[in-house]
Amino acid sequence: MSTTADREIVISRVIDAPRELVFEAFTEVGHLSRWWGPDGFTTTTRSFEFRVGGEWDFVMHGPDGTDYQEWISWTEIAPPERIALRHGEAPDDPNAFESVLTFEPAGAATRIGMRTVFPTRELRDEAVEKYHAVEGGEQTLANLAAYVTGVARKGSED
Amino acid sequence: MARAATTSDVFNAIAEPQRREILVLLRTGERPVTVLAQELGMTQPRASKHLRVLKEVGLVRDRKAGKQRLYCLDAHGLRAVHEWTGGFERFWAETFDRLDAYVRELKQTRQEE
Repeated sequence: MSTTADREIVISRVIDAPRELVFEAFTEVGHLSRWWGPDGFTTTTRSFEFRVGGEWDFVMHGPDGTDYQEWISWTEIAPPERIALRHGEAPDDPNAFESVLTFEPAGAATRIGMRTVFPTRELRDEAVEKYHAVEGGEQTLANLAAYVTGVARKGSED
Repeated sequence: MARAATTSDVFNAIAEPQRREILVLLRTGERPVTVLAQELGMTQPRASKHLRVLKEVGLVRDRKAGKQRLYCLDAHGLRAVHEWTGGFERFWAETFDRLDAYVRELKQTRQEE
């Protein structure tokens, strides 16, 4: 068991496209702005430079009108296999967390793994319970239904 | 620890693949049991049995429409699943849904070029 086990979250998901294409979707702001965030979320980018040490400074707009200041800096980029990044609200955010994304071929599709390590267990638990407005907000039946499909997909991969 | 009965536990209810298929089909709109059974290639009694379980855990609702009974999704039962998976994971489940849709579209566009 890794020493970070009590302060990390691991998510895995199969995306129905070749690895190069899935990786590419993470490398340009024109792509990212098309899919980043749950249903109904949009982003406004202040600056974006996809390189190790580069930053993505942006605002995420929730469906209820709430704005979230976001900041991402890449710490490792290995096309088309791996991206590591720091994610917080600003460069000096003490609560920033680190995510490592891995891209593995799964037939003609791609399995994305995302391991996120939080500075403390408390911050991990907090993220689990209330990450942005997704938690607790009014959900449309359509969103819930989309979630069921996600659960179904996860289940059928097991 | 004893396993909760399927009929009272939403997690057990959605552990069965055919019941998940029913939920996915109902996303697109309400249906009578005859249509559900046909679309999923199962007998009507079997589909009815699954629907009864889904209804008991609050994942589907039904209403009478003339001689038919129509089934649709009920968000109520999903609350426990949401609470269990939490905000961060849900955030990424939905985000990856959008990524999946986007790169499929991208793949299609590139193939047409």
